[in-house]
Formats: sequence, structure tokens, C-alpha cells
Amino acid sequence: MRNNDVYPFSAIVGQDKLKKALLINVVNPSVGGVLISGEKGTGKSTLVRGLGNLIQDMEVIELPLNATEDMLIGSIDIEKALVEGKRTINNSILMKANGNILYVDEVNLLSEAIVNSLLEVSQSGISRVEREGITFMHESLFILVGTMNPEEGGLRPQFLDRFGLFVEVLGSDDLYERINIIERRIQYEENPSLFIQQWKYEDSKIWNKIKKARELISKIVVSESMMKVASEISMKANCSGHRGEIVMIEASKAIAALYGRKNITIDDLKEASQLALPHRMRDNPPDMSESDDIEKEDNNDANNEENNIDNNDQNTPENISDDMDNDQDDDGNDENRQNDNLDSIGDSDNETIDDIGNLFKVKDLDIKPLDRKRRKGAGRRSIVKTSELQGRYVRYTFPKGKYKDIAFDATLRAAAPYQDSRNKEGLALSIKKQDIREKIREKRTGSTILFVVDASGSMGAKKRMESVKGAIMSLLNDAYQKRDSVGMIAFRKEEAELILNITRSVDLAYKKLKDLPTGGKTPLTLGLYKGYEILKNAMKRNKDIIPVLVLVTDGRGNVSIGGKEPLEEALQVSKQISIEGIQTIVIDTEQDFIQLKLAEEIAKEMGADYHKLEELKAEEILNVVRNHI
Amino acid sequence: MINKKKLYPFTAIVGQESMKKALILNIINPSLGGVLIRGEKGTAKSTAVRAFAELLPQREEVEECMFSCNPDDISSLCGDCLERYKKGEDFSKRMGNMKVIDLPVSATEDRVVGTLDIEHAIKKGEKRFEPGILAMANRNILYVDEVNLLDDHVVDVLLDSAAMGVNTIEREGISYVHPAKFILIGTMNPEEGDLRPQLLDRFGMVVDVVGEKEIDNRVEVIKRRIEYEEDSHAFALKWEENQIELREKILHAMEILKKIRCHEDMYKTAAMISIELGVDGHRADISMIKTAKTVAAFDGKLEVDKKHMIEAASLVLPHRMRRRPFEEGVVEFSKVEELIRGIKDEK
Repeated sequence: MRNNDVYPFSAIVGQDKLKKALLINVVNPSVGGVLISGEKGTGKSTLVRGLGNLIQDMEVIELPLNATEDMLIGSIDIEKALVEGKRTINNSILMKANGNILYVDEVNLLSEAIVNSLLEVSQSGISRVEREGITFMHESLFILVGTMNPEEGGLRPQFLDRFGLFVEVLGSDDLYERINIIERRIQYEENPSLFIQQWKYEDSKIWNKIKKARELISKIVVSESMMKVASEISMKANCSGHRGEIVMIEASKAIAALYGRKNITIDDLKEASQLALPHRMRDNPPDMSESDDIEKEDNNDANNEENNIDNNDQNTPENISDDMDNDQDDDGNDENRQNDNLDSIGDSDNETIDDIGNLFKVKDLDIKPLDRKRRKGAGRRSIVKTSELQGRYVRYTFPKGKYKDIAFDATLRAAAPYQDSRNKEGLALSIKKQDIREKIREKRTGSTILFVVDASGSMGAKKRMESVKGAIMSLLNDAYQKRDSVGMIAFRKEEAELILNITRSVDLAYKKLKDLPTGGKTPLTLGLYKGYEILKNAMKRNKDIIPVLVLVTDGRGNVSIGGKEPLEEALQVSKQISIEGIQTIVIDTEQDFIQLKLAEEIAKEMGADYHKLEELKAEEILNVVRNHI
Repeated sequence: MINKKKLYPFTAIVGQESMKKALILNIINPSLGGVLIRGEKGTAKSTAVRAFAELLPQREEVEECMFSCNPDDISSLCGDCLERYKKGEDFSKRMGNMKVIDLPVSATEDRVVGTLDIEHAIKKGEKRFEPGILAMANRNILYVDEVNLLDDHVVDVLLDSAAMGVNTIEREGISYVHPAKFILIGTMNPEEGDLRPQLLDRFGMVVDVVGEKEIDNRVEVIKRRIEYEEDSHAFALKWEENQIELREKILHAMEILKKIRCHEDMYKTAAMISIELGVDGHRADISMIKTAKTVAAFDGKLEVDKKHMIEAASLVLPHRMRRRPFEEGVVEFSKVEELIRGIKDEK
């Protein structure tokens, strides 16, 4: 709003890479913006705002999360329409952003409709408005700067690719840097205007550097050999598409210009690759250890970068599974050996508590496979159009039937051009039926995933339960980001117990999972029935949920509830579940030499997706569930 | 009702010292970032926040400004006030009470950020901004009971404003910016789900409250409650002196806050603690120092000492430990204390 109290860009300690990325964009806007990913409290936003204040010919235009579509792309100006009877367009965010920096804080939380409009414009550089009887076109070239905290989930791949550069920011580990950060912040807060005054000179030095670099950049000629090197780097880093190398070249031009040079060096390219490639690299880059040319180092650098992102995205489950590894080494082995023996006994009443399996490594649980999945699903997973009067109002539509949720702004705009010819009865405005528009709201609704887990004695065998727990946990991790709700039913002995009611507290789910014991008979029907009831109730409470039942069992039900054959009963309930429209997934844990394929039969009856546990690496189990949602 | 019931006096709350302290520190220094109070039901969380309203000091505000702008703080004036300031108009000032503004969990996004004034648009054909809860919260306390149950998109906008001290509206034909600097106070029952880490980190402090364990204290809680229910006026009168005393202590602390000195070693310790505990980002270090200074001010001291640092650390660190979603957040506070006690005494 007011620029007088902005923390000076030059006073920010460290974060050199991010500063550089921002400067590169300001010098050469064709680089295409920056996505800043990082933990909380690392000065992401402060830097961007500081930059806006430092650059005298550009402004930082903010796209707040609460923005509605009409504000982003523009709509008819009500006042003008009423007073002058003219159809004009109001000043939209995209208009204001033209030639400036468009800043989106928490860009990964932006609503789908807004992201789509934004993608369209950032591709073409032109915004077309076709609404409310207005056709209008204007240029909208801006530097897109977004921040995100990967803990809150990722970005769609197309959107990710739109950002020219990517920087991951971390807090400093250096004691003296940290002290310095505290000191400056305290100084600033005690007397902002004095502090800003003290840094004015430093800021102006940076501004001069930018101006010089901007002059220089048009004189930079990119040699063919450099282009070749760039595409080689990009290829070796296994980047998708060609944007990687193009951005790399554009960024190197800016880097060279910032150094005051007219030629691009290998070092410039190297620096550029570290910023331009990390978010464009695909999984499993080919082994680069054989490469022995100059780019080798670049690749490795970029690759390290990549690993960092992965770790960050994942909240480092690596650490978690490492911890678990250790746990197992301590006490798990003995238990498991016991289980092996128990296997032959089958339904023993002995109870064991298995650790959560460590069957997956970070790479398998990478966020990227999920993103790729999501592309197919076009984000249906987490965002649904909601029928209730809740959620974020993103755009309007023509009403069908009774009016429930009138979009007043859109209605007024629709009515505005006709006011001259209407009888207004003393009011400033006359609204007719045909003017009325309704709101379209979006709500982030995760799915409600209920695990129905067989915890009978047969599951305790051969680390089965460990793998099962590992798989469930990988889903929990994902549910955390996607705001899914999770619940868990365990069936064993004579009962099916709701060990975790449907909740969003993933921590709680984790604890319950960890303490889940196995042992006893297999009351499969009971488990299924309970799961059915719970989900049905949840659906009654909230129509917008996406119910998913994940049955994890070997199918060897041996407890009857109604006096019939246990299997027959189980099949009956399964059918009921399928009728109710609950999405189901069966994960078969059967592993004996002679297979009864009972779980498969149940899966058929439920119309469920059927998978064997062996075939499910952590990565796959997630995808299985995601495919459904 | 002829005789309106008096609020339960803040000073009459038994125990819950760290919660009370956290609330007080935030009035003394509104830039500390608010408090999140975690605890089971019936631990006086809400009572404390409501009672707290009575202690809030008066401050100057621009008359007829819907954001209660501070006439002396030019950099955070709202658009209207800034215009008047630039034209050289004089503000008519008045003394106003700092207030506790409720943000109900059911609040819709448009009520929170503000929206198009429909009535005005239809009657006058003009666009006008109808302020929301964030507008009222400027320079006041924003209280969210059961903050963990808040809708995600409301949390998003809340975070935006809490971070910037400004509410930016781009919706329903309205493009508007106004100051929204507030002290965020939230309560939650952890059994009902987590708070998003992002929102958690925005709270300067977190206090965990539990029911009193001492039998004597529990009896005292009951006694006072019964006494209050029987005659709230008499009860309030009985505690009046304590209330006045606390209010004065707060005012004094506010006065000396700017003069509090903090030795470089404290900065170093704060940074060391953060590195040792592996906290995310730098907010913890900065909060620790600011809070320690405020603790010192409330203590009536002009120099931050180790005791102040320990208390500050106990308030600002619990929720900032680098904690993966599935790890249990155990704070090894003894380590923190050790580090602070290790600071060399000054000659």
C-alpha cells in the first residue's frame, strides 16, 4: 500500500541466490519470473517487496488469494455504465500488472479458476476480455513472482513450468549471519524510517547496477556454441521441453550484463542453470557420472538442487524412515522372527505390534508423480465446485432454477448498461430477472479416505503388517498436504474397531497406526460393514466429500456375523458398498504359495480396483488411490 | 436484565500463569505476533481472553475512521486518512479503547475481508467498500476461538493480512487496500485437529494450558467461580485493586519498552538456540529477542537478563521446532535453558 516502511532490499542478510534471481528478471523480463519455495520466515516476501521499492520504474502488483476472476481479468465498470451509460472496462489486476511485477504470495493456494486465467495470459502476454457484452484486448506483460511453502502442497506442472526460475530458500545456519539478521530486524522495528535512510545508498547502488545492465543486455550476442552447451546441459539434466535452455540463455544474458560484460561465459551459464533447471527436471535423470565435459559440474549442481527440492517437498520422510529403520533394528527383528513362526499357526491370539514399514524411499514418494497424475485429473482431487454457500467465490454463472447464492456484483454489472431505459422507481438501479447471476464457489475438499485394515493374526506374518503400515503412512503423508480427511478401522479377533474417527489430524492418525496391534481371527464382514456405516454417515453430514474405502486384507474372513458363510456375508456387504457409490480399493496381502484369491473376489463384488501388496511400491499405492479420486 | 453481569476479572483467574503472561506481553508490545492457546475444554481459555478485554489500554485514534487509524503513525494510515493528512487537514482525535474483535469459525470469506456494499450500490449506483472483520480488527485484538476449525480459505486471507498488516481486496468489483494490523489470539483444542504449520508459525507465542493439578488450586477455582456466579459485582469490586495494579504495571511497561537494552550476547544465544533446535526460518530468533525485551519491561527492568530470555524462549519456541508432520514435537527445553544459563555474566 504505502511504500515508506518497506524493509530495504539491500539490508536483507544472505539469500544471495534469490536476490540474484530477482535481479535477473528485472534486467531481462523475458526470463519469465521466479518461483520462490521455502520454509516459513525466511524473508521471501520481504525481499520481493523490497525489490519493488528499489526499482523505480516498476511496481509490485499483488494478486491476493481472495481475488475473484473478474478482478483479475476485468469486468464492466458499474459506475461508468450507470452514470454515463457507457460500457467500459474497469482497471483489472492484469492491466495494472502490465510492465510491472505480479506478485502472488502462497501461489500454491491460488484457486483453480484464477490459475487458469493466469496461465492463459502469461503464455500469450495478451489478456482478452469477453464478458458482459464487452470485447477488449490489452497487453499484459509482467514478471510473475510467486512464493510457496512446499509443506502446503505443490503446483500444477504447467503452472510450474511458467516460472522461468526457481529458487529454494532456507534459513541461515551461520551463527553470525543469524545474529546479523536479528540485529537488523530489531533496529528496523525500533525506527523504520531511520533504518531505511541508512540503507538508501546501498539500495541506490543496486538500482544503478540494474540500469547499467539493462543498457548492456541488448548488446549481448549469444554464440552458437553457448546455445549448444545450454541445450546439452538441459538434455543431460533430463528437462522436459525446450523452455529450460531458452530461459537459461536469457538468464545468462542478464547475469553477464549484471557483471558488466557483453559476452556470456560458461560460468554465467552454470549460474543460470542452477536457477532455470531445478523445477524442470524429470524423475530419474540418466546417470550423469559418465559425462566428463565442462557441464558435468553444472549438471551435478543442478541435480543437487533437485534433490533439495525433493527433500523439502516431502518434509523429508527420509529422516522419518531412517528413524524407523533404527527402531526396527533395535527390537523389530526379534518380533518379526516370531511372526514368521506364527505364520504356520495362522489365526493365533498372540498380539504383536509391528513397526511402520520403511518400504519406500524419498524418491518413490516424490511429489512429482503425484503432480503428473494430477494433470490428468485436472485438479479435481482437491478442489470441487461446492453446492453449499461455503467456499471461495471465484466467478459467476447464470442461475438455474431458484436463486440460492446471488452474485451481487455480477448482477449489478449485468443490469448497469440498461438503466437508461428502465423505470427505476426512485432507486438508482432497476434489476430485472434476466440480470441475476449466481456465484460459483470453490472449496478445497480433500477426499475422505477410510482405511479398513485387516489386523488379524495372518497379517502379522512375515512383516506383512509392516509393509501395510508403510503404505498407509505414505498416504497419510500425502493426505496432510492435500487436506484429506482420514479414518481407520481395524478388524481382528471378534470385532471391528474404529481406531481413528474421520479426522484431519494426521498426527493422530500416525500415532494410532503406529500402535495398531495384530493378532486373532479375521472378522472381515464386520470390518467392511463398519466402514460402510462410517462413510455413509460422513456423506450424510457433508455432501461434498469424496468417500474412498481402502480395504487392506488377505480376504480370509473367518468370523460370521449373521450365521452365514463368512465369505458370503462379506460379498453381500461389498455389494452394498458398491451400490452406495463409495469408491473402493482393495489391497490384497495374500502371499501364501497356494492362493485362495478371496480378496480378489471381494474386489470384484465391490467394483473395486484390485492390487496385490507385492506390486505396490509406495509410489504406486498413492497413484492407485489418486487415480480414483 | 437490570444488572448486567460483570466480566470475570483477569486477575482472579487461578494459575495459568504462562497464558496470562503471554496475553499481557502482547498488549505491552503489539508487534509480538499474538498468542495461540492450546488446551482441553474448560481450562479458562476463553474466560481469560474475554477478561483480558478489560485490561486493554486506551489509545488515540482518528475520529470517524473505520479502521481506528493511529494519528501519529503516518506510515500505517488508511487511504482516507492519508489523503486528509496530505491535504494538511487536521485529524480530530479521540481516545478509544482497544477492543477484542471476534472472528467466528463460521465466518465467510467476504465477511472477513469485506465486500461490495450492495445497499449503497442499488440505492446510489456507486461502488463502495463494506468493511469486514479485518477492518474492525485493525489496531485491535482479533480473537478466533477454535482457530483450527477455520475454513482453509479464511485461514489463507487471515495469513495474508497477519503477515503484511494490510488487507488487500480484489473481489466483487471492489479493489481496496486498508491497514489490518492486529494482535491475533487463537484458542484451540488439539484433539480436534491440527493447525496448518503456516498459520501456527504466524503466532508469536504458543502456550499449552492444562487443568490445575494441585488439589488446593482446584478448590480455589471452584470457590472463586461460585463467588462470582453469586454476585459478580461484589466479586469484581473485590478484585478491583488487583486489576488496577496490573493495568498500571502494563502501562509502565509500555512506557519503558523502547528503552530496554539487550546485550549482544543475547542475540548470539537466540541464534544459537535456533540453530541447535533446527527451527524453520528466522522468525523464532527475532521473536525471542523482542519477547525477552517485553518480559524485561513488564518486570520493570531496563536490561534483558537470562531469566527474561528463558521465559521468552519458553513462549516462542514450542511450536517452532523443526517438526515433520509425523514427528512428535518434543521440546528439549532443558537444552535451551542450558544455553541461556551459559551466557557469560557481565562484568
